[in-house]
Amino acid sequence: MTKKSFLFLALVLILLSSPGIRVAAQESAPNIRVVVDMVQLNVAVTDNKGNYVTGLHPSDFAIVEDSIPQKLATFGEGNEPAYRVADTSSTSEKTSAKAGGQEPQADPKSAGEDVSQSLGSMVAGANVFLLFDTSNYMYRGFVFAQDAIADFVRSLETADKVAFYSYSRDLSRSAPLTPDREAVLRGVRATVAGDDAALYNCLLLTIKDASHFTGRKVVVVFSNGPDNSSMVPPEDVAELAQSTGTAIYMISTQLARLEPVSTAVFERMTAATGGKAYFAKNWRDEQKAFASIRDDLAHLYSLSYYPQPNPNRGWRGITVKLVGERLKKYHIRTRNGYRPQPNRFAAGTTTASASEAGPSNQ
Amino acid sequence: MKFPRCLPTLPLVLLSICLSTCFSATASSATDSPRSEEPDTNPSQAASVVIPGPLRSFMRMAGISQKAAPEEVLPLLAHNVFAQGYEGSRDGGRPTEFLILLSRYVHQAKELAALVGPDGSFRVSNCDEAKPLLHTLGYRVRQDCGAKHTALVTADPERAFVTIDSGFPLPELELTLQGGKPFTYAFPASRVPVMFTESDWTTLNSESRKGSRDLIETFLHDPLLCRLYWALSRTDAESRVALQRSVGIGTLLPVAAVLDFYGSHICIRSGRVIVPGGAGAASAWKDLTGASPDSPREFVARLLAKDNGWLAAYFDALSRVNQTQQAHFTEVRLRRFYESFRGQSISPDAARPAFRPAPALLLLMTRLQWQPSGEPYVPGNLEVWKQILQQKSDSKIIRDSGKRASHIKNPEQLAETMFALCRVETETGPLQIYLMLSELDSKRSPENRLSPQTVLLMASRFADFSNQYLIFSEFPELNDESITRFLNVAESLGKIPNHTLRGNAMGIFQANIGMWQILARQGQIQSSALNDSWQNVIKPFGKVLSSPQLFEAGSDSLGELLLAATGQRSGSQDEIIDLLAGPRQATPDGQRMHQEVANEIRSVMDGQRLVSLDTILGLGDGLDAMAHGAAVGDSLVPLAGELREFEMPRPIFSSGERTQWATGVYNNRHTDLQMRTDLTKVIKAPGSKQQLEDARGQLCPFLRDTLVGLNYAYYEPPGAQILHINPLFVRSHDFSGDTVAGVDRIWQAPQLFGEGSPAGGGAHLVGSLADLPYVLAQVEQDFIAPENVQALIWRELVPGLLINAILPRWWGVSQSELHAITLYQRSGEELLTASAGDPQLRKKVMTILSDRMDPQVSARVETALVTGRLADVDPRMTPADSFYLAAEFRRRFPGQTDSLGPANQELESLSRRDPTELSWDRLSQDFGVPHPILAQSYSRELLNLKPFPAFEGYSSRLLAETWDSNNLYWARLADEKGYSAVMLNALVPQLTHRMVEKIFASDFEDWPAMLRAMRETGEEFRQGKIASLSTGVSITQP
Repeated sequence: MTKKSFLFLALVLILLSSPGIRVAAQESAPNIRVVVDMVQLNVAVTDNKGNYVTGLHPSDFAIVEDSIPQKLATFGEGNEPAYRVADTSSTSEKTSAKAGGQEPQADPKSAGEDVSQSLGSMVAGANVFLLFDTSNYMYRGFVFAQDAIADFVRSLETADKVAFYSYSRDLSRSAPLTPDREAVLRGVRATVAGDDAALYNCLLLTIKDASHFTGRKVVVVFSNGPDNSSMVPPEDVAELAQSTGTAIYMISTQLARLEPVSTAVFERMTAATGGKAYFAKNWRDEQKAFASIRDDLAHLYSLSYYPQPNPNRGWRGITVKLVGERLKKYHIRTRNGYRPQPNRFAAGTTTASASEAGPSNQ
Repeated sequence: MKFPRCLPTLPLVLLSICLSTCFSATASSATDSPRSEEPDTNPSQAASVVIPGPLRSFMRMAGISQKAAPEEVLPLLAHNVFAQGYEGSRDGGRPTEFLILLSRYVHQAKELAALVGPDGSFRVSNCDEAKPLLHTLGYRVRQDCGAKHTALVTADPERAFVTIDSGFPLPELELTLQGGKPFTYAFPASRVPVMFTESDWTTLNSESRKGSRDLIETFLHDPLLCRLYWALSRTDAESRVALQRSVGIGTLLPVAAVLDFYGSHICIRSGRVIVPGGAGAASAWKDLTGASPDSPREFVARLLAKDNGWLAAYFDALSRVNQTQQAHFTEVRLRRFYESFRGQSISPDAARPAFRPAPALLLLMTRLQWQPSGEPYVPGNLEVWKQILQQKSDSKIIRDSGKRASHIKNPEQLAETMFALCRVETETGPLQIYLMLSELDSKRSPENRLSPQTVLLMASRFADFSNQYLIFSEFPELNDESITRFLNVAESLGKIPNHTLRGNAMGIFQANIGMWQILARQGQIQSSALNDSWQNVIKPFGKVLSSPQLFEAGSDSLGELLLAATGQRSGSQDEIIDLLAGPRQATPDGQRMHQEVANEIRSVMDGQRLVSLDTILGLGDGLDAMAHGAAVGDSLVPLAGELREFEMPRPIFSSGERTQWATGVYNNRHTDLQMRTDLTKVIKAPGSKQQLEDARGQLCPFLRDTLVGLNYAYYEPPGAQILHINPLFVRSHDFSGDTVAGVDRIWQAPQLFGEGSPAGGGAHLVGSLADLPYVLAQVEQDFIAPENVQALIWRELVPGLLINAILPRWWGVSQSELHAITLYQRSGEELLTASAGDPQLRKKVMTILSDRMDPQVSARVETALVTGRLADVDPRMTPADSFYLAAEFRRRFPGQTDSLGPANQELESLSRRDPTELSWDRLSQDFGVPHPILAQSYSRELLNLKPFPAFEGYSSRLLAETWDSNNLYWARLADEKGYSAVMLNALVPQLTHRMVEKIFASDFEDWPAMLRAMRETGEEFRQGKIASLSTGVSITQP
C-alpha cells in the first residue's frame, strides 16, 4: 500500500473511531454531495493589551456556522492535547480541574516580550511548515534571513514536527516534516539563492502538504513580498488555508512595505486564516515576531466540531464567541470560515465510495 | 538496460572506429580507419586542472548540475560563463551577479584551502580553533561559545552568502561549537579533465600568458575563450584533435560563436572533413567554401568565416537531417538552395543572437516533402503559390520573393524560394504556410490532397487560423469541404459585432470541436464518419446572430457530436464525461482505468464549480417548452437557482485596489455577468415568449464555460493545481480578446496573462483552444517541485514532456504491442552487444544510429563498443535509440537478427504471428508523441530525429518534440512489471510527473539529464516506490 493510501485509510479509521459520527451534509442537488468531516479551529483569546487569556473551558465558547449553532467536539488549550468534549465521563474531571470555576487569567508574560522563557512547552503538538523566499527579492537579506530562520527553528524545541521549504519560481522541499531539528537546520543552511518569486504558487503547495496532517498546523512564511511568477491568486490560497484549518504567519521586513500589494495580502491573508503578519525593521530584528508566533502557538485554544446539516455548498461563515458577560471584554482571533471542498474524484479513490472520499479536515 | 560489463577478449581495434559516427552517407563506403582514442571516455588519462575546494561546492556556484560527470565540469563552466556571466554589450559586457559570486567563491575557496590540514580536511574541536575558519566563512559565534545555545550568525554578508550558496556544512560546525563532537570536513582540491592542456587555453589570454591566472581564473575573465572551449567540447574527440592540430584553437577563437552554434557536426576523419551529402556532395561544398574537404584547415576556417556564419548554419542544418533526406540534396540543389538561403544580405551575423536564428532552415530541411519524381512537393499547384508569395508583407525578403514569383516555373524554383524565406522572422509567412500545407498533404492519399482552391483559402487565412490547422493535419480524412466550412463559419463568428456574444460563440464552437477532436482521436467516431460528423458539428453555428440562436446552435452541435459518437443526440454530463474518458472497456483493469480518467475530469469540473450541463440544457429545454405554452416553471426554478450558486473567491482586494494594482489584468466581466443572471423571475412570472427566448440566450455563458471546462479537464496535466483551485480559470478564458490590448489573432493558440500579478485574479488564457494541451502544461508546470536543490523546471522543455504524457491514451493497445515495445528495446540492446565483437555488424549498427545521434554521442558509443566498455554505452543510448535501431535493422537486414539473442528471436516470432499489430506504423502511432511545431500536428508519431538544438523563437520546444523516449520506456516498465496496456493511462502521467521532479539539468539542452531522470524514475518504479497500481492508482508523495 502506498503512503498516500495508508494515510487515507488511517484518517478514515481515526474518524470512524471518534465519538462524533461523521456528518454528511447531503445536498439537494442530485449530483453534488459535499462531505465535511470535522472543522478544526485555532482560536486566540486576548485582552485589550494583547495578553493571551488562559484557563477558559469549552462552555465558554459558542460556535456558529452560517447561523447554525454547532456542538463542540474537541477542546484543547495551548500545548495540551485536545480532548473530546462530548465524552463527559472521561473529561469531566479534567475539565473541572482545568477550569475549576476560576476566572480566566490574562498572561502578561505571553505578550511576546520574554524570549528567554522556556519555549519548549509552548508549541508542543503543532506541525510547523516554514517557507523561505530565496528569490532575487531576498538577495540582499538572504544570509540574515537565514540566520533568523535558524534561530526560529532552534526555538521550536518541542513543536511536534517542523518542515522547511524554500521557493523562488519553484518549490523546494528542503526538509520534509520531521521531529529532527538538525535535519531542518541542515535544510535551512542548504538553500540556494534563486531568481523569480512565485510565493502564492508555493504557498499553495505548502498548505496542501500541511493539509495531509491532523492537529494544529501553521505555515510561517519568510518573505520580502513581491511575487512575479505565480499563476494562482492569493485569494485561492487564503481560501485553501481557511478550508484546511491552516494558519498562515508572514514574517517580513519593512522592505515589503514598499510594495503595497504584498503588504495588503500579507495582512489580510494572515488575518483571514487566524495568523498574523509581522514587518520588522530588518531580518536581524525578528525576535519579537518569532516570540509572538511561538506565543500564539502556545496559547491557542484548539476547538473542533462536526458541522450540523448545512445546505450551503458555498462559503460557510464561522463565528466564535465567548459566552457570558465576564468574557465579553476579550477578543477572539480565528479563521472566519471555510469552503467545503467537493473533492469527490481525486486520483486514488476508485476503491472507495466516490461520495465519501473527501478531505478529513475542513 | 543491461550490458555485459566486459567482453571475453578485448578487441585489438582501439584505433579502428569507422566513419559512420559522422555522417551516414559516408558510412556505407567507409572502412575502419585509424583514429585516436576518445579522450573524453578516459578522464583518468586526460590532462586535468585543479579546482579549489570540493567539486560539489564549485558546481553549485557555477550553476552546474550535481549529477554532471567530472569531464563535463569545465565545458559547462565555460558555457555558463559566456551564456550567463555578462550582460550588456559595452566593452564585452559587465559581469553579472552570477559571475561575481562565482569569482568570490573561487577566491574564498582558495583562502579556505590554505586553512586545511595536511590531509586536506578541516578539523575543529573547539571555539579557538574555529576562529580563522569562521572569519573566512563570514560568520561569528553569537553568545558564549561552547554553550548549548551557541549559534553562528553572519559577520560578513558577502562571505556568508558564498559560504551558504556553496553548501558549506555550517550546521555541523555549529554543533561542534555547542560542545559536540569535533568538526571534520574534507575540503580537497578537485581535479577535472581539461581539453588538450591547460596552457593551450591560458596562453590565448593576454593576462593569463603572464602567468597570473590559472584556467579557472582565465575562464572567469574571458567569455570568448569560454565559448570556444564549450564549442569544441561539443565536437567529437577525433575532430576536436584534428581541429586543434590543423586549424589551431587560436585561429578558431574569432569564430567561436559560429563554432558554438554550428560546429558540433563538423567531423574530421583521416584528414578529411566529412560533409553532409557524402562524397557526391564534396565538390559542391568545395565550391561553396572555396576549399576542399580534404584540407580540413582551409575548409573549416572558410566554412566558419564565410558569409558571417550563414554557410556554417547551412552545413550544420543539413548535417542534422537523416541520410534519406540528405540524399535529396544533390550537388546542384545544394548550391542553389544555399544561394537562395544566403540571399543578398549576410547581415546580421548567424551567431550574433543569444539563440540560433533561422529555425525554419532546419525545419525545412527536415520536413521537406518529395514527389515520386524526386522533385520537391508542391501543395496545390505552382499557380497558387505565385499568389501566396505575392501576399502583403513587412519583410523585404518576402516582398522580393513575391516580385519574382511570376517566374517560378517548376517545383525546384519554389523550393529555392522557400530556402530564401528561411531567414525571415515570422510565424505566418509563405514558408510557414508551405511547411504546414505540405504536412497536411503528406498524410493524405493522392486522391485526397488539398485542392489548389483550398490551399489558397488556407494560405489566405493562415495568419489568423494557422494554429487551428493542427486539427486538419491530425485528421487527414477531413476533406476540402470540411476545411472550407470550418473557415467560413469561424470567420463569421469572429465578425459578430457584440463582444459578449462573439466570445461565447467562439468558446462554444471551439469547445464542441475540441470534444470532436478527442472523440475522433480515441476512435469513438468512426473514420468513415469523420467528415460528416465534423460538418454536422460545425453547421449549426453558420447563422448565429443572437444569444438564443447561439444557445440553440451550441445544443444542436453537441447533439450532433453525441450522435456521431453514440448514435443518440442526447446524453447527461456524466455520460459525456464517460465518453471523453475513452471507449468502454471490457476488462476489470480497463474499467478501473476508465473510471479513474472519468473521475479526474469530474474532479476538475468540481474544482471549477461549473454548472452542470444537465442543468443548463434542462433549463434550455424547459424555457423552450414554456415559450410554447407548457407549464413547467416549477420544475425549472431549482435549476435556475443552481445558476446562482457560484460564489467568487473571498476577495482580498477592493475593486479600487484591483484597478490600481492590476490594470489591464483583472477582468471578470464574463463571470460578473453570470452572477447577475437570475432566471427565476422570468420563470415565475412567467415571461412573454420573447422573454423566455431571451432567457435561453442568457444560458450561453454557462454553456460555454461547462463545455470549455470539459476540454480543460481532459487535458489536465499531472500535478495540476490551478484547474482544481482557481474556479475562475476556465471562466476567465477570453476568446474574443476583449480583456487585453494587443491580442488580435484570437483564433491562434492562447496566450497566458495574469502571471505574477497578485491582484490580477490569477493566470488566464486569451485566445483560442488550439494548442490547449501545451498551454495548460505551461500554466501548471511550476507546481511540480524539483527533487534536487538548485534544480529547475525548464519552462519550455517540461510542457512538451507533459503533453506527451497526457495526449496519448492507450485504450486500444494490445498486450502484444506492449510486449513488442519491450522486445524492440531489448533487441536493440542485443544488437549493440553483438556489435561490440563484430566490426561488420558494428558498422551497420552505427550507420543506423547516426540518424539519431550527434557525432559526439555516436563516437562515444562506438568507442565504448570497440573497447568493450559496454557499460559506457548505457548512459548514451536512449530507449528510442534502441527501439529505432532494432526496427531499422530489421527493415534493412531482414532475417539477420535471429541469432542475436532471445529478444530478437521472440520479436521475430511475434512479428510473424501478428505483422500488422507489430508494424512500425502501428507502434509509432500508439507510442509516438505529438509534434505540433515540428510536424504541425498532434498526431502521435515516432519521427527518429536527432535532438534539435535551441532556436530563437522556439527555444527548446523543438528539443522537447524530438524527445520521444519516455512513453517507450514507461511501456517497457509496465510490460516488465506485468501491467496491462490500459494501465498506461494512469502510469504514464504519474511517471512523467516524477521524472520532471527528478530532472537536474545544467541547461535546457541537457538531454542526458532527461535520460538520467527517466532512468531514476524507472528504478524507483521497479523498486515499487512510486506509481504502484496494485492497491489503486496512486503515487507516493514526496
